[in-house]
Amino acid sequence: MQIFEGYVSESSFDEVYDNEKHIRACWKDIVSDIENAGLELLKEKQAEIDWHLKESGVTYNIYNNYDKPTNRSWSLDPIPFVIDGKEWEKTKKGLQQRAKLFNLILKDLYSEQKLIKENIVPAEVIFGHKGFVTEVFDFGYKEDFNLYFYATDIARGPDGKMWVINDKTQAPSGLGYAIENRLTMNVVANELYPHISIKKLSAFIEEYKALLKELTGGDSSKAVLLTPGPYNETYFEHAYLSSFLEIPLVQGQDLLTKNGAVWLKSLSGLKRVTTLLRRVDDRFCDPLELRNDSRLGVAGIVEAMRENNLNMINPIGSAILENIGLNPFMKKIAQYFLKEDLILPQIATWWCGQKKELDFVIKNLNKLVIKKIDRSENIKVYFGKSLSFDERENLIELLRQSPYKYVAQEEIDFSTVPYYENGKIEPRNAVIRTYSLRKNSDYSVMNGGLVRMSATKDGLMVSSKNGGISKDLWILGEDNIAINPINTLKYTPYVETSIHKISTLKAENLFWLGRYLSRSISTTRLILHVIKQITNFYRYEIVTSKESQIILQNALTHMTMTYPGFMDTKNKKNLDVFPMIEITSVIKETYRSGSLSSTISMLSNSNMSLKDILTIESSKLFEKIQTEWHVFSSRKGDSTLVVANELDTFLIYLMAYKELVHESIFKEQGLILYDIGYKIEDALLLTSKARSMLCLKLDKSIGYDVLEGMLNSIESFNAYRAHYKSSLNLKNVVDFLILNPQFPKSLMYITQNLLKEFKLLPKAKTTSTSYEKVMLKAEVLLKSIKIEELIQITEEEGVYVELDKILSQISDLFLECSNEFSNTYFSHYDE
Amino acid sequence: MIYDLYHKTEFNYQSNVSFSHNIARLKPKVTPYQKLLEFEMKITPEVYESYAFTDMFGNNNTHMLIREPHQSLCVIGKSKVEIFLELIEEYLHTARSNSITYESALKRLSHFHSSDLYAKPYLFESDLIPYGSQKIKTYALESFHKNRDLFEATHEFMERIFHDFKFVSGFSDITTPVEEIFEAKKGVCQDFAQFAISALRSIGLPAKYMSGYIETLPPEGEEKLFGADASHAWFAVYIPNAGWVEFDPTNNMIPKDQHILLGSGRDYNDISPLKGVVFSSGGSQLSVMVDVRKAKV
Repeated sequence: MQIFEGYVSESSFDEVYDNEKHIRACWKDIVSDIENAGLELLKEKQAEIDWHLKESGVTYNIYNNYDKPTNRSWSLDPIPFVIDGKEWEKTKKGLQQRAKLFNLILKDLYSEQKLIKENIVPAEVIFGHKGFVTEVFDFGYKEDFNLYFYATDIARGPDGKMWVINDKTQAPSGLGYAIENRLTMNVVANELYPHISIKKLSAFIEEYKALLKELTGGDSSKAVLLTPGPYNETYFEHAYLSSFLEIPLVQGQDLLTKNGAVWLKSLSGLKRVTTLLRRVDDRFCDPLELRNDSRLGVAGIVEAMRENNLNMINPIGSAILENIGLNPFMKKIAQYFLKEDLILPQIATWWCGQKKELDFVIKNLNKLVIKKIDRSENIKVYFGKSLSFDERENLIELLRQSPYKYVAQEEIDFSTVPYYENGKIEPRNAVIRTYSLRKNSDYSVMNGGLVRMSATKDGLMVSSKNGGISKDLWILGEDNIAINPINTLKYTPYVETSIHKISTLKAENLFWLGRYLSRSISTTRLILHVIKQITNFYRYEIVTSKESQIILQNALTHMTMTYPGFMDTKNKKNLDVFPMIEITSVIKETYRSGSLSSTISMLSNSNMSLKDILTIESSKLFEKIQTEWHVFSSRKGDSTLVVANELDTFLIYLMAYKELVHESIFKEQGLILYDIGYKIEDALLLTSKARSMLCLKLDKSIGYDVLEGMLNSIESFNAYRAHYKSSLNLKNVVDFLILNPQFPKSLMYITQNLLKEFKLLPKAKTTSTSYEKVMLKAEVLLKSIKIEELIQITEEEGVYVELDKILSQISDLFLECSNEFSNTYFSHYDE
Repeated sequence: MIYDLYHKTEFNYQSNVSFSHNIARLKPKVTPYQKLLEFEMKITPEVYESYAFTDMFGNNNTHMLIREPHQSLCVIGKSKVEIFLELIEEYLHTARSNSITYESALKRLSHFHSSDLYAKPYLFESDLIPYGSQKIKTYALESFHKNRDLFEATHEFMERIFHDFKFVSGFSDITTPVEEIFEAKKGVCQDFAQFAISALRSIGLPAKYMSGYIETLPPEGEEKLFGADASHAWFAVYIPNAGWVEFDPTNNMIPKDQHILLGSGRDYNDISPLKGVVFSSGGSQLSVMVDVRKAKV
């Protein structure tokens, strides 16, 4: 006994030691395994765990502000929470009973309301709670309106029994983290705990899949997981669960309702959805009937339920069960519905809506904890004993004003478990989240769970939001049923990217990822070129002429559309002398539309939405890009050279990211959309630059400078030299960048290539679609060009009018193509 | 009394809308005192599909999906409604005699009483109507003394609102906070109704938002112009042992056969005549036209 020597719990119950300091039976093997392993190995295993979690991209997003969610990596303790198999069976019975009761309450409240009519539950506990959704007031009669998935937080009380702390019913979270914890623990368990046998989780996942099959009438492909999106704190888990359950992960914008039913928009058309596993809260599910400011839901969902065309895990309205006001009445409810006593004890709770109880609570405030029955509105908890005189008076005033809104609970000292940190083991309070699933007309409880611990040694509050640490829950014993080895859990990421099935939102994001990435790269290159020109980077024998510099600067303003920019006539003098001020603004100011910073933030939104499709390296790289960009763009006073260096590095990152995108997905899958987006943007930016840089009649030396700038800004100078083996002249450059069908950056090449790619899309037809027609026009236009005619010029004009006209026409055609393409694939309103 | 009602609600969008889900509540509620003789609803552009349902508050809802590109959505409800004055007077007479004191009402509401249960949803704050501040409570309590008959007290409370508040249009909209209305002591019918409801709920009484119409008469000798009316709003209070009693603080009267009920709820949101979710960029503008007139027999 060395490691556990210093382990002393001040709680009235410790999981490992009984009051006589004897190790409890179910912990003996674990404790001796830890002692055998020693602190060094424990430390090593902790590092392994950390690495695994990071590698699988396990995060819990925390919001500091809306702009920048911080991805907190998830942390897992190498010591599990151990429960003896026999004790667990008893606990399971209690959880099943509670699940059954909650289902009966749910159905009753949204149908006959016998509980209210027969005075089992006070009307105020229900109608005074925002979780009661009046829009579904009679849905309880529907057969498929049930509490399908239920999470219960339990903890061990001072009497050694498991107590119910909290009930989660509308969209319970944590299952994905529990599974990931188990998979990660499996990695270290072989070495740390070689002889311990525990129950497995896979049976529960199989049951979940079976439930989805049942709810969809045998066709699980009609189920989807509705997530609020990548900025949600548990988005990782949504993506993770959708993989395990093999159903598409969608956002509200991916769905629409018509014919009183819900449809998934996919690239090949609308697909019926009958079952929604949703992680969006009740009130946000339908902007038509529920909260009209919600952008997370789908208009018409409530109607689809009303028409019996949709079932939900869990149905809208379930939030009414997340109601501590029900606790004091659970005993009566259990008798009323089941004629049974409650199996699991709850914390003693007084509902203040009754006079006797309110008086008691006010009298005994010092010993009590006060909470609102509706925690969705306010999760504030008042610890009676630590209130100042004023706070106490204010609280009493609140209680008297709206007594029905509050409950008081006994303050309980929960059990402690050992937790490894910084080379030693300490006791911490822990709460277990358990999961139950509806099966036939009963409930099945997962043999495991998510254990969360208080963040500090004396912390009473356990919450992932405050940044806690987690543990795996181990139920000792063998599984009763043999598990088919095929069904053992394995994490195989499953994301639907087949082009026929990919969801519209993902498809649209892929398209825009292409456009924004192309824009980021082109903008960076052009800015770099302008800066190098300004600082005379290329060390010409003759000093760069001011005139070519100005042409380049104007090209930058045109391309980024950051008007007036360098064209600001009022500020012209200043701009010419101190161009870096304007350039820095075009680089760094996020709120300036068209700036590099703003393009990056758009790119970062697309990247975020595609996180589960792209490789993990691309996520990591992008995180690095964002972090470094943030530092750079918020720094002031960099020298021109430093700015150039930063942009150089940044450009390399972007190129690497581009490469990773190409590696992530096949063309036949969604990559083709990205590619189309990228090419369209490339073409648009190329025409913009060409209009600024190739259409002016210039003196030979300046003209040479500008032509070189044009080629350099798209990294094509060497290619040009290799192709023409001659010095720069306008005719050749136009031929090369616009008409050359072999050069991949030329307008001709892009046009012809797009026409080929369009044929691979799901809606491609033998006749041309609207966006194809536009590109065919562009091809005809390009083929009709005779360079000599374009670069003829009359003395007085100073501009190659014909060239400019053609470029402008082509640019319009590409824009039109982009719009038509979006209309065809990303909106489905006419289907 | 029989009325012909015409209620047009129109959304005008800044840009083309290709897909929109809407809910219209333009079909008047049927009550023991009000019968719906005829009803028709006209929607432009044509709806792709529609579903009718009755909500928890007994209001008639029509869910409509429009799928052709449109720049405006116009929904017209035309109804013929008969109101039974004798029945209303009979009801009010009984209610008045069964009314109890404010104190007994509070006491009864704090206990289980099966006939009070369905008044309870109207006891609490709703999305548009929060509880009033201490100032508002004090204002209300001037009428509600412990031993005062609740019917009488509410009647006086209505009168005070009528005298203390000025009817001024353009000052407020449906989202103007009750406190602001109270401070300024001005607003329109829905403001007075919401203020009264907030005050009543704050002092422990269930109160309901009533939405409908009232017949207005043109100046003497002039012909009534079509569409010169407006939607109207008033409130109802729940008197245990007596039932719901309606009051109209804008006109200082107890609604009888001049008021036609469209529907009721916890606040305006439960009975807004037209709401929708559109897929388009840009905003929308709402315009309304109402006509109420006695039916030609």
